[in-house]
Amino acid sequence: MSSVPISQWPSEYKYSAPVAGDTEMVNVTIDGVEVQAPRGELLIKVAQDYGTYIPRFCYHERMKPVGMCRMCLVEVEGMRGLQISCATPVVEGMVVTTQSPDVKEAQDGVLEFLLINHPLDCPVCDRGGECPLQDQTLAFGPGESRFVEEKRHFEKPIPISDLVLLDRERCIQCGRCTRFAAEVAGDPLIDFGGRGSSTEVITYPGAPFSSYFSGNVVQICPVGALTARSYRFKARPWDLSAVETSCQSCSVGCRGVLDSASNRLVRFLGVDSEPVNHGWLCDKGRYGYEWVHAKDRLNIPLVARGGGLVPESWPQALELATSVIRDVFDKHGAKAIGVLGGAQGTNEDAYAWARLAKGVIGTDNVDAQLGDGLPAEVVIGMERATIADLDSARAIVLLGPDLKEELPVLYLRVRRAAVDLGVPLVDIGASNTGLTPYAQAVLRHLPGDPEAVTEKLAAALAGQPTRPDELRPLLEAIDKRALIQKEGPVVVVLGRSSVAEAADATVRAAAILAQAGISAKFLSALPTANVHGALDLGLAPGFLPGRVTLAAGRDELAKTWARVPEEQGLGAAKILANAAGGEIKLLVLLNCDPIADFPDGQLAKDALKNVEHVISLNSFTNESMRHADVVFPITVWGEQRGSISNIEGRVARLGRKITPDGSTMEPWRIATELAARLGHEMDLESFTEVQDEIAQVAPAFVGVDSKLISWARDGAVLPVADHAAEITLALSSLDQNKRSAGVSWEPIPTSGEDTPGNGAVPPAVISPPRPAQALYSWAKQAPERTAALADSYSLRLVASRTLYGNDLITTQSPSLARLATVTAQLRVNERERDRLGVADGEVVRVISSRSSIELPLVVDPSVPERVALVAINRDAPGASDLVDINESVTDLRIETLSKPVIKES
Amino acid sequence: MGKFSGFRITIAQVFKPKVTGDYPNSKRPKPERFHGRHVLNRYEDGMEKCIGCELCAGVCPANCIYVRGADNPPDSPVSPGERYGFVYEINYLRCIHCDLCVEACPTEAITETKLFEFSFTNRQDAIYTKSELVVDDQGRAQRQPWELWLGDEDDQTSGWMRATASAGQAEFEGKVGWSGELGVGVRAAEPSQDKTRTAIAPTSEPEEVALG
Repeated sequence: MSSVPISQWPSEYKYSAPVAGDTEMVNVTIDGVEVQAPRGELLIKVAQDYGTYIPRFCYHERMKPVGMCRMCLVEVEGMRGLQISCATPVVEGMVVTTQSPDVKEAQDGVLEFLLINHPLDCPVCDRGGECPLQDQTLAFGPGESRFVEEKRHFEKPIPISDLVLLDRERCIQCGRCTRFAAEVAGDPLIDFGGRGSSTEVITYPGAPFSSYFSGNVVQICPVGALTARSYRFKARPWDLSAVETSCQSCSVGCRGVLDSASNRLVRFLGVDSEPVNHGWLCDKGRYGYEWVHAKDRLNIPLVARGGGLVPESWPQALELATSVIRDVFDKHGAKAIGVLGGAQGTNEDAYAWARLAKGVIGTDNVDAQLGDGLPAEVVIGMERATIADLDSARAIVLLGPDLKEELPVLYLRVRRAAVDLGVPLVDIGASNTGLTPYAQAVLRHLPGDPEAVTEKLAAALAGQPTRPDELRPLLEAIDKRALIQKEGPVVVVLGRSSVAEAADATVRAAAILAQAGISAKFLSALPTANVHGALDLGLAPGFLPGRVTLAAGRDELAKTWARVPEEQGLGAAKILANAAGGEIKLLVLLNCDPIADFPDGQLAKDALKNVEHVISLNSFTNESMRHADVVFPITVWGEQRGSISNIEGRVARLGRKITPDGSTMEPWRIATELAARLGHEMDLESFTEVQDEIAQVAPAFVGVDSKLISWARDGAVLPVADHAAEITLALSSLDQNKRSAGVSWEPIPTSGEDTPGNGAVPPAVISPPRPAQALYSWAKQAPERTAALADSYSLRLVASRTLYGNDLITTQSPSLARLATVTAQLRVNERERDRLGVADGEVVRVISSRSSIELPLVVDPSVPERVALVAINRDAPGASDLVDINESVTDLRIETLSKPVIKES
Repeated sequence: MGKFSGFRITIAQVFKPKVTGDYPNSKRPKPERFHGRHVLNRYEDGMEKCIGCELCAGVCPANCIYVRGADNPPDSPVSPGERYGFVYEINYLRCIHCDLCVEACPTEAITETKLFEFSFTNRQDAIYTKSELVVDDQGRAQRQPWELWLGDEDDQTSGWMRATASAGQAEFEGKVGWSGELGVGVRAAEPSQDKTRTAIAPTSEPEEVALG
C-alpha cells in the first residue's frame, strides 16, 4: 500500500493498488487467527485473502468502497457498534470477529430488510441460480421474513441502453453500477433518483446508458436488476458449461469465461486478471460472441467452377489449392506467391502458416499487417512495456489511436492509472480522443507531423530547465508524482492514429522519445486481435518465428524447416502493388479481406482483380474472395484451442467451447495438410504439438511450451527470461489459496500431464537474441518529414477507427449491429463547416489525389481545424477510396454540390 | 376322486372372490401419489402455468427434460409474467418417473397423471413436446393414439397432488395451498391427517373405471 495517508471516512478513501517496496505490514486478528496484512488494506479484503468470506453486496474489489448495503458488518474490538468491513482499513493490533451472535443478528436484519422489496421472481430471473442475493440469503439470512405487505412495483424491465435492461423492482441500491459508470468507465450516465423505497437507478432524460462498457454493470450487479438483452432467457446457470479464454475482438486480450448451452455460445464474462483486464470487458468483446453463430458462416470449402464459387469436399479443395501453389511455384518461383493476413488467428495458425510460406514454399512475401500497422521491425524491436507498467509509470504518453475506440479496456487501464493512481498523461495527436479530458498536456499537431511537439515533450521530460507553458501542468504533475513514484518508465502507447498517413512520422516521433534518455518503454496499440502473435511468429517480411530476423534465425530454423528464404520479402503494400502489376501470381488471404481492410481500397481492388490465383481462408464470404480459386472455411474463436499474444506479447491460452457447424478446419491444420501435399510433412498433429515446436524453434518463445501455456493463469509475457518472476508467481499461486491476486479461477485440468513444480521457473529460460535497436535504425532510413498542407483550402484527412463499424464482429452480432454506423461521414468542426457554407448533414464532394466521392458532412466539435475525419471501418464509399498508400499524408478538397443559398433581404 | 384330485386347489379357487381385473378393458385404481406421464397445467383463465424456469430440467436425474424460455409476447402472453416455456420436451425413453420435476416446479405447472400405458413404435414419439404435454382447453390431458386412457382417469392430475403439499402442518389444515386450474377451478384442501375428519377432495376412494 502506498504511503498516501488514508482517511477513516469512506467517502474520502481512495483505493490504490499496493505499490511494491512501500509496504508496511500490520498484525490483525480475524476470528482468533492472527494474520499479516498491508496497513490500510480493507478489512473485507484481508479477511477474504485469508479464507474468511464476509458477505457483501456493494463492495467490489476494483472500485472504491461506499458502505451502502451494510451487509459486511463485523465486530471490531474497541470500536463502538458494528463496523462495515468494506470501509474499515486494517491497523496494527485490530481484533475482528466476523461470526458473533451480534453479527449474525445484523446480517439477518440486513437481508430481511433487502428482501422487503426484492421480488421473489427468481425462477424467471436471469440471475437466478448464480445470484449473490440468493446465495447469501441462503448462507447468512434469517430463513423467514416478518413482512407480509405488498412489495413495491415498477414496470418490469425497461431498457437503459440497447444492450442493458433494468428491472427496478429487483434493485437493492448497492450502487455498483453507478459507481462503475462514474469511477471506472468515466461515463457517468446512470445515477440514483428518488428517495427511500422509491429510489431507483435512472438514466438522464434523453441520454441512454450508451457506454462502451455498459455490459460490465450486468456482470457486477449482485441481483438480477441489470440484465443483458443478448442473454435474456437464453439459458439458466445450470445449463451452462464454461471455459476460460482470451477475448479476440481486439489485441488487449482480456481474459474471460465463455459460456455455452446446447453447443451455442450464450455469454462471455470478464475474469479478473490482474495484469490485463481487472475483470472488465468492453461491450464489443462481451457481446461479440454472437458472430460465431451468424447464419452466413462458411462451413464447406468452395472452389471456382463455372464462373462462381461452388461447394466442394475437403480433399478435392486441398488438392486444388496444392496444384495452384505448385503450378505458380514451378512456373514463376516462390517470389510470385504472397501471403496476407493471419493477424486474426491463433499463434499456432500464425506459426504453421509462417512455416508453410517461408519454410516449405520459400517466399518471404508474407505480411500479417494490412497497411494499418507499424513496421514489424519497430514492433518487434522496441523496448516493450506491459499493461501493468502503466500503473507504476512516471508518465504515460499517448502517441497513437483513440484507445477508447480501438482498445477499450486499455483505455480503462490508462484512465485508472491517470485518475486513480495519479500518473501524468500526455496526449499527442491530431484530434481529441477519449483520454484527452484526463491529460495534463494535450499536444495537437497537423496529421502526419507529430515530431515537433514530440521533440518539445522529450526535451521537457528529459529535464530541460525551461518549461514551456503548455507543458507546465504536466511537469508539475510529474513533480508531484515523484513524491511517491520516483523511478518508473515513461510508457508510450504507440500506434497508428490514422491510416490516411504513413507510419513514418509516428515512428520518428517514437524514436525521439526512445532516444531522449527518459527510459521510455513502448506499449503497442495495434488493434487487430493477434497481430502481435503473428509478428512474433514470423508473419512479417524479413522475420522468422521468435522475433528473429532472417539472417539471425536462419541457421537455427534450418534444422527443422526445409528451407529459409534467402532475402527479405515485401510488405503488404508492395505485395498488393506487385499483384496488381502482375509480378505476384498467387495471393493467399489468411482470414483477411484487403478490399475492406487495406487503407488504399483502389490498390487492393486492382490487386485482387489482376492477380491470377487467390486462395482464401475465411469464416465468411467477402469481396476479396470473389475471384478466389479455393476458399477454405475455418474455425474461429470459441471453436478452436490454442494461444494468442496480446499487446504486451503475453501468450495466453484460448479455450474451445463449442463444436462448429458444418466442416471447418483450424488454419494451422490447413497449413499442415497443404504442406503434406506439397511433399513436406510438418509432423504436427495437435495444437499442443505446434506450441511445443514453437517453444523449441522460436527463440523468444523459449520456455513457453504447451505446459506453461495451459498452466500460467495470466499467460506469460515474452521473453520469459525478463518476466520469470511473474510467471513463477502465477504458477505458484495455483497451489496457494492464500493471498491470491484474483478471484474465482480454477487451474485447468490437463490430460494426466505432470504439472509444473511448485513455483519452479520453467526450464531452459534463456534470453533470446534481440534485434538491434530497430526503432533508431528504422527512423534514420525513413523518408523525410511531411510537408505542410498543400494549400489553404485543403483539409487533412484523419482516417481512424471507431469501436463499432463494418467489421465482422459488429455486423454479424445482432446485439452490436444495431449500434454500428456503417456509412461513412465526413466530420469537420463548425468553423470548417461555415467556411464551406453547407448545412449539417449535407452531402459534399470530397476530392483526394486518389479519387472523388460524395459523403455527408457532419459537424463534430472535437475535430480540430484544418482536419477532416472519416472513420476507416465504414462501407464504401469511404476513407479507403481517398487514401493513396504511396502518399505520406492525404489532403482533401471539399466541394459543395448544392448551389449557395443567397439570402434575400 | 382319482384323476381330479389334482384339481382340488384350482376348483376351490373358482368359488372364491376374483382378485384379477378385466385389464385392459378396465383399470384398477392407482395410489394417490402414483407417478405416470406428465402434463403441463394451465390456470383457470387458460394461461400456461409453465414459466420456462428450467428448474425441472435442472433437477431431473435422468436428464430427460429440455426447456427453453422466451419473452412473453406482450400482446398475447402465454403465461403470466415475463417469461414462458418456449420449448418443453420430455424424453420418455429416459424418464424414470421420479417426480422430482414436479417437486421442483415453482408454479405447479408440471404434474403427473396416473397413466403409464404408452408405447411407441419410434423414438420421435417418445419425445413429448409442449403441444402434447399441455392440457387441452377443458383442462384435461391430451390423449395420444398410443396411450391407453380409460374414462376419467385423468381427473387425478394437478398441482394439489404434489408431494410437497403443506398439509402436514397444523396451521395449514384446511387451507388451499395451490392455484386454480383450467377445467377444475381451485381444488379443495387436502384431507387432514386426522382420520376422524372426512376428506373434501374427490380422492376418497377411486373406483375402478371401465372402458368408455
